[in-house]
Amino acid sequence: MSKAWGVVLAAWMLVMVVAMPAQAQEKTGIKPGFTLKPGTARIVLLRPAIKVGAQSTAGLFEPNADWTAQARENIGRSLAKAQGGLGNSVVECSEPIGADAAMLAEYQDLFDTVVQSVIEFQFFPGNRLPTKKRKDQFEWGLGDGLARLPAFAGADYALFVTTEDHFGSTGRKVLQVFAALARVPVTAGVHKGFAGLVDLRTGELVWLNADMQMGGDVRDAEGADKRVRQLLEGFPGRPVPAPVAVASAH
Amino acid sequence: MRTIAAALAATLLGAVPLAGAAAPVADKIAPLPPYVAAYQPTNVDERGAWMMADEYERHLRDSPEVIRDPALNAYVRGVLCRTVGDDRCKGVRLYILHIPAFNASMTANGAMTIWSGALLRLRSEAELGAVLGHEFGHFELRHTVEGFRNQRRGTDVMAWASVLMTNSAALQVGVLGSLYRFDRGQEQAADMLGVRYLAGSGYPAAAAADVWERMMSEADATAIGRHRKADQRYTAGFFATHPTELSRATYLRAFASGVDGGGSAEGVRYREALAPWLPMLLTDQIKRNDFGGSEYLLGRLAADGWTTPLLFARGELYRERGNPRDLVNAAEFYEQAIERGDAPPEAQRGLGLALLRGQQTDAGKAALREYLRRKPDAADASIISTLVAS
Repeated sequence: MSKAWGVVLAAWMLVMVVAMPAQAQEKTGIKPGFTLKPGTARIVLLRPAIKVGAQSTAGLFEPNADWTAQARENIGRSLAKAQGGLGNSVVECSEPIGADAAMLAEYQDLFDTVVQSVIEFQFFPGNRLPTKKRKDQFEWGLGDGLARLPAFAGADYALFVTTEDHFGSTGRKVLQVFAALARVPVTAGVHKGFAGLVDLRTGELVWLNADMQMGGDVRDAEGADKRVRQLLEGFPGRPVPAPVAVASAH
Repeated sequence: MRTIAAALAATLLGAVPLAGAAAPVADKIAPLPPYVAAYQPTNVDERGAWMMADEYERHLRDSPEVIRDPALNAYVRGVLCRTVGDDRCKGVRLYILHIPAFNASMTANGAMTIWSGALLRLRSEAELGAVLGHEFGHFELRHTVEGFRNQRRGTDVMAWASVLMTNSAALQVGVLGSLYRFDRGQEQAADMLGVRYLAGSGYPAAAAADVWERMMSEADATAIGRHRKADQRYTAGFFATHPTELSRATYLRAFASGVDGGGSAEGVRYREALAPWLPMLLTDQIKRNDFGGSEYLLGRLAADGWTTPLLFARGELYRERGNPRDLVNAAEFYEQAIERGDAPPEAQRGLGLALLRGQQTDAGKAALREYLRRKPDAADASIISTLVAS
């Protein structure tokens, strides 16, 4: 009972010799025609999912509570700064209790699932579902039940933010060098994140940015600023409207 | 068997302070390790493990799978507290999950789960205490962080070997095997600490072995029901994260034989506490499409006679399989349940459907009409009434 590591380890040797696939995929999606006039929207920020730690020599994630706490503080501050610059008001979602908490948790799970689907079945062109092949199309949603949650009362949009950082340990980096000599590709470090904006009236996912190779060290304030800038890349509420396209980066 | 387990424990439990089956008899009833209330994680790895567990628990707390009924939660917690002692159980957050399989778990930070399928299979407070005590043992022995460190050490060796050695396959396989052996060692250590709690709680320590013996019988019944060979093993496989059920039953039985018999296992009290939940637990079990295992479980639950929920569940089980001979049996079980006078309206529905499919149209329609009369607002009322009208 419990603590079943599964057979994950069994695939270990395989993982060691197979190179990570090149991340040649799109990063940003936006609902065609969607604009957010600066200074008009009330945005609820859900508790960001933040995980920071090290990457062991063999690639295991070593969670680090201190780094995560620092990152949570830094990213929170940077987000408030960035959105303030856009003139939008961002309020942090109060933690509900009882049935509302369960409902909110389910929506958070649903959001994660939808985001994974967008990344897998739309952002990665080789894997695109037949219904997602039309150009300039971005049609994903969570259903229209969101507005009924008291936590979202009076708000227009919900902002979801997730980041995950595995900083390559010294051992991992040394291994990378030796592995390169042996012509085995080994990557050091994982830095990924995504941010999405959901229209609370319709439940539509109106903007999503997902980046599997992010910059900025979230453990310090400047790095967090950079990370948040990258997370909000293509955010519809930019003061200077950027060219909006489904495919923003390859 | 015992010597194998002992040797295994002696060689592998270096990192775990409890030497499993290797402990001599005198040591078995040694006092429990001192317990620190409100323990806080100390180093980087442990604090990291607790952070991950905290995040997982936030999620768990709001999960729709959690059964929140206060009475059931208080009852299960009461058994945990009696088993491990009040000082130990206070800090534990216990979540009963609505999952119809036999399992329980413990996180690094002391959040315990037990699955509803386990509640169906256990037969007494002592057995419930054995399972909960095992999980608490994982927490008290800080197994999550130890397991993680062991995994990291092992995979580091494998990573270096794969890069530096020309032919490292044998070494890698060896290290991989040791990782799983370590997991099994932890499980055995938790078993042994769990049964020591049990021995000190007034519940009979033998209950821990009973759980595993019945799990083996159920697995055999499942295999036979699926026309497969019963597959009980004497030794754990290479990738096994737990000792085999046979070895667990063996070393737990050996421990229990060396200590006091203990008091009552409180089987009756357990049945009474779980009685309101039995229909739901049985419905879940029937849906698992495991005829052999379900029939075995029903048989064990009916050891003291067939009650209405058990007869109804057995009818459902047979009707589900649906061979003509099963429909005859199913109708009989439903009828027996109905004769007892306290059957749910669904018994009439099952009886009606079984009879209809068994060509007894009039009797079947009569039973369905009775179902609709007793439960006019049933979710399937409209489709059942078309069957009656046809």
